[in-house]
Amino acid sequence: MEFVLEEIMSESIVLEVRNLTKHFKVGSSGKQVVHAVDNVSFRLAKGKTLGLVGESGCGKSSCARTIIRIYEPTSGRIILDGQDITELNQKALQPVRKKMQMIFQDPYASLNARMTVRDIIAEPLVAHHIVKKKDQANDWVYPMLERVGLTKEHANRYAHEFSGGQRQRVGIARALILQPDLVICDEPISALDVSIQAQVVNLLKDFQEEKGISYLFIAHDLSMVRYVSDDVGVMYLGQLVEICEADEIYKNPLHPYTKGLLGSIPIANPKLAREKEKSSIEGDIPSPINPPRGCRFHTRCPYARPVCSQEAPEMKEAGPGHMVACHLY
Amino acid sequence: MEQKWELLSSTNEDREKIWTKNRTFAGDVWFRFRRKPTAIAGFVIIVLLVCFAVFGPFFTKYSYSDQNLEVVNIPPVMKVYEAPDGEGYLYITQSLKVVYVNPDGTLGEQLTRVRSEDDQMMTIFDCNGTEVALYYGQKPYVIADQETKIIYPSTTMWNRSYILGTDALGRDILTRLMYGTRISLLVAFIAAGVNMVIGILYGGISGYTGGNTDTIMMRIVDIISTIPLTLYVILIMVLMGNGLHSIIIALGSVYWVDMARVVRGQMLSLKGQEFVLAARTIGSSTKTILLEHLIPNAMGSILVTVTMLIPSAIFMEAFLGYVGIGLQPPLASLGTMCNDATANLRTCPYQLFIPALMICMIMFAFNFVGDGLRDALDPKLKK
Repeated sequence: MEFVLEEIMSESIVLEVRNLTKHFKVGSSGKQVVHAVDNVSFRLAKGKTLGLVGESGCGKSSCARTIIRIYEPTSGRIILDGQDITELNQKALQPVRKKMQMIFQDPYASLNARMTVRDIIAEPLVAHHIVKKKDQANDWVYPMLERVGLTKEHANRYAHEFSGGQRQRVGIARALILQPDLVICDEPISALDVSIQAQVVNLLKDFQEEKGISYLFIAHDLSMVRYVSDDVGVMYLGQLVEICEADEIYKNPLHPYTKGLLGSIPIANPKLAREKEKSSIEGDIPSPINPPRGCRFHTRCPYARPVCSQEAPEMKEAGPGHMVACHLY
Repeated sequence: MEQKWELLSSTNEDREKIWTKNRTFAGDVWFRFRRKPTAIAGFVIIVLLVCFAVFGPFFTKYSYSDQNLEVVNIPPVMKVYEAPDGEGYLYITQSLKVVYVNPDGTLGEQLTRVRSEDDQMMTIFDCNGTEVALYYGQKPYVIADQETKIIYPSTTMWNRSYILGTDALGRDILTRLMYGTRISLLVAFIAAGVNMVIGILYGGISGYTGGNTDTIMMRIVDIISTIPLTLYVILIMVLMGNGLHSIIIALGSVYWVDMARVVRGQMLSLKGQEFVLAARTIGSSTKTILLEHLIPNAMGSILVTVTMLIPSAIFMEAFLGYVGIGLQPPLASLGTMCNDATANLRTCPYQLFIPALMICMIMFAFNFVGDGLRDALDPKLKK
């Protein structure tokens, strides 16, 4: 009986995104738009991690910021814990924000340099009226600091005194102190040293096991994503081109762009590296103001066919749980 | 061999320890500020000037409006003639009176005139019973023995009664300088404070709201700034009449334009930064975001702008005083003192030189401090 319940719980969806679209107006006339996010749909189950990868400028961060409603979505639906939050205004969003938090990419820019670490971590508590004033928050802040490997002596320090890894852990503490259901990690490790990356990722994983948090984990390299994610989605020019289980995407990448991305992961062993097929993607990412007609990847795709420049491919199931948007399948 | 290096235990506490001293942001700024000699010099000068203006009047026996027509236009350094009594000295005023100068340099009584001998171009004065003659036939005027016509030996000495001399109405310039500096600094600080508040509010709203509100508000600022600010101030002064309050209102209501621009620029760049986005995702109120995130981070540029604004407010006040629409006499400000001095600029240049020097010193000091602050607040220069 308990087992069944757990099964249902694990299958419960924390975040569902349906046809999410975000266009930014460019210039004063507002006629041109940047297609930052186009028609992105996915689901994220409780306690799971969805990795979102793609090269710079493909709309990963815009997608994250639209989901957390810093940006207003152009169209589509965002459903958090069964509640549609797409249309809520900022005031109505306030209680919802408790359930979703964000960890930012740049640990130097994401912490206010004029605040002590205690104030930074206590800010969510004050915003959601759990404590009245920041100096009453020590009972929450100290255990959290120790939990992320810092000490309570650090509480009175200013953010600029910390190293990058320490700062990112402060950022994590701030995001997790409200015990949210969903944490959006916007490239939380890409600004850190490799040795620190593992530390931060392990910390995130520990929290997930403990509290059953779901992560939307955004990164631009596939190597770390493989380690953290249950599912991986690949984005190209604002669109989701492939999404499936993490292991599956590494063993059996279908979309030519995914193959290209995987080919770009450096391999430590030079012998293996030489044997590896050269499948790097050539050319630059096209302008998101004027995305190519048809399949957006056809300008760089080595397997492009005439149909690719005419018709946009639909997302279809190419294998069990393996969705891909490509005319080849 | 002695062990030079030893392995630290790798406990968590040591690994995460921050070895530097706990330094607040203000402490950090001070640390960088004080390494710049010009900035420190400016800071010290400002402190001294404030002390001079605030506490100085307690130590002087004169008031800014006390007139003593017996000692008009007496310079700080006097050319004096030895008195026949062998102790004191005699000083010839510009109105051809003779003032007795005590041996310690303080001014005594004006000598009484006995008679005038116009044919010899002499006026005879009574100096403690001895008659002395002031010969005004040719410059320089001299004091001589009435009978022998021998000119008394002359010397120069410091004026100990009026250290910086007196003005055309016999008022002590040092005292007036204290009050003048006090008023100039008061006007400057209040005007700067008012400008800061208006500028932060206006620029903050404009920058934070963005969009059309921002466009309209900034076009208004553009329109205001195309008309010379001096003109505004003069118009406001004419409308409101003379007086301290109207100077403050005039300066306070006009100079916020630059401040508003600076604050708006800061808001625009800060509101897109990740820590502000983080505050929004957390669900902090707009008030919290403005007061705890945006304004404290914009404070550096705001401070620099204010310190740069103070000298221009001081100069403006002096200018208004100089053209005669500033304070009403007998109130002293640096500008009105300069204005008073121009009447007898040729004979008493010190009357203009002293307040002008004070204006220069204040402006230099604030500019140096502003410069130092800008460097100290710039995190890119952090070492």
